[in-house]
Amino acid sequence: MTGSDWAIELREVSKTYHRDQFEVPVLDRLNLEVEEGEFLALMGPSGSGKTTLLNLIAGLDFATEGEVIVHGQDLGVLSEDEITRWRGENVGFIFQTYNLVPVLTAFENVELPLLLTNLPRSRRRRNVATALKVVGLGDRMDHYPRQLSGGQEQRVSIARAIVTDPYLIVADEPTGDLDRHSAEEILDLLEILNREFEKTIVMVTHDPRAAERARRILRLDKGQLVGDDTRPSHDHDHDHGPREVALASSQVNGEERSS
Amino acid sequence: MTASDATNPTPAQLLELARDPINLFVLVSLLAMLVAFLVAFSQVRFWGLILRNVWRNKARAALTIGSTVVCMGLMMLLLAFITVQNASVSSLRAYNRIVTMSSQGFGQVVPIKYVSDIETEFAEWIVAATPYSWYGGKLGEEQLPFAQFAVDPAKFVQIYTEYEIPEDQKQAWLNDPAGCLIGYKIAEDRGYKIGDTIPLVSDIYEFPLELTVRAIYRAPAATSQRVCFFHWNYLEEGLKTKAEGRNAGNAGVVVTKCREARAMPELCARIDGLNASSQYPTRTQTEEAFAAQFAEFLGDLPTIIRNIGMAVVFVLVCVAGNTMAMAIRERVVELSVMRALGFVRRQVFLLVLIESLALTLIGGVIGAIGTKLWLDWFDVSKYAGGFVAAFYVTWPTALAGLSVAFWVGLLSGVPAAARAASIPVVAGLRKVV
Repeated sequence: MTGSDWAIELREVSKTYHRDQFEVPVLDRLNLEVEEGEFLALMGPSGSGKTTLLNLIAGLDFATEGEVIVHGQDLGVLSEDEITRWRGENVGFIFQTYNLVPVLTAFENVELPLLLTNLPRSRRRRNVATALKVVGLGDRMDHYPRQLSGGQEQRVSIARAIVTDPYLIVADEPTGDLDRHSAEEILDLLEILNREFEKTIVMVTHDPRAAERARRILRLDKGQLVGDDTRPSHDHDHDHGPREVALASSQVNGEERSS
Repeated sequence: MTASDATNPTPAQLLELARDPINLFVLVSLLAMLVAFLVAFSQVRFWGLILRNVWRNKARAALTIGSTVVCMGLMMLLLAFITVQNASVSSLRAYNRIVTMSSQGFGQVVPIKYVSDIETEFAEWIVAATPYSWYGGKLGEEQLPFAQFAVDPAKFVQIYTEYEIPEDQKQAWLNDPAGCLIGYKIAEDRGYKIGDTIPLVSDIYEFPLELTVRAIYRAPAATSQRVCFFHWNYLEEGLKTKAEGRNAGNAGVVVTKCREARAMPELCARIDGLNASSQYPTRTQTEEAFAAQFAEFLGDLPTIIRNIGMAVVFVLVCVAGNTMAMAIRERVVELSVMRALGFVRRQVFLLVLIESLALTLIGGVIGAIGTKLWLDWFDVSKYAGGFVAAFYVTWPTALAGLSVAFWVGLLSGVPAAARAASIPVVAGLRKVV
């Protein structure tokens, strides 16, 4: 652990990939501080390094140089197993293509990360039920992913991300595979998680409308930060309360698969 | 030996058991399975996920399990054949019997006078001697309904003391020249009762038999319960009335029961010495050695079966390994997500390995244990014309089959599990995160 006051702190971070005999620099001496409870959007063209940056923050990859400190933990000093366990305890993941386990029900998918904990079965069931209710899928617990729409699958994915009550939520193009209506639903949920549950969220997106939901937008290009816009809290048009979101969620339960 | 002695073998007995390579293999495998089960039990929270992954691609799982079942089943049948042969042959050791046959092989016969020669020359050494001649009769259109032998019934009951024949039936058989003694399974198979007639026609002898069932025997498990014994004299008298008595006067082979086992080698040598310069020289050996000759006709069957077994195991490892490799290849993203969620490499390795073991052990249980139970229920020896006393799979053999399935699962699962555990998370997720 370090004495950092930031939720996320990057110091002179570089990342270089090796492709055969070539070295491909992706991030170049990048510095970044993110406050606790911040909702950060990472934008930039393809190849700009935003996914690599997200991977480093989430502990999925190691920096070639520099320090990545999340919740006071220098990730560079952790072993493979240590960082895996750290991810399980501190990070919730939301993927563009949901990545649910197809042979498990919504309930079992959300329960999956809890199986790594020592929680008793009754407690696990309670936590899973709560997480699914938060995302408005309390009545879809026994459904398999193939029986859910794209928007519903993504909401199960969000429930899985929050069920362990992680410190940080990372989302890569969480609305990339969804229609506009479902995308709004997911963004509403992320806002709730940020505002009501005070989760620090880092989201990669190409969609400017999605990025507008974040409080801060970072723009990357060629591995460098080229823009950093911080906006006043809750000053946009999509400021729904949690009850409104839950209601809205319940209204899209019967929608068709978006893709 | 008391009942508790039987259930609690001494260390020396265990050591003796462990000297048998198959027993040792089963023992080691059972210990390994116990360890594997304990490890699997530590992952009990994931059993639901593991079993659903096993059945995820139902057609592929069914084909893999099916091939394991078939291979294990065939292996059980081959091993059962050896087991039954060995049990049948070794069970004869206890009865102190020797068999005198033509030195040219048992395709040739020895003259009937050899029976009386042996009884006269070696009266102090032996209990009795009987001719034992293969009739080879057809029953209607049935070519080989069951084995039939012409014997001297009075001597037969002194020599084959392990056969259980009700006393009144025994006397009835002894007193009826056209009477026969049949195994209880012949009676069961064909519904024969005492007093029924069995008409038999032989290609070897021109005299057809019209036998009357006078007695029904039961014998120990390793002995065939599907043989028919009738009076040698009945055949002999009949032959003399036909075709100038062709094939009359032969004993087939002579079976002699000795008073003491230790005298058997010397007696064998003396009998052969007696006939050495005759027109029909003989070869005399223990009944166990005589029976073993039939197994030798099949060549080095144990080696052939062992080689087939090795090939089967190799094929199974390939089949199961391919199944697991395909399963992992299809789940790269999913496994990467699990790693992202906090599953360490060791855990992913174990989950995939347990999945592989489950796949092959399901096939192993159905194939090995299922074949054993099937053969316990279904009497295959019914279709062997009395040549196979019984056809069964012993528990050690079934456990050996299960052990093979376990090792197949382990061998095929380890590479897949190692591959699953070593998937780089970022590459596995591709562009997901």
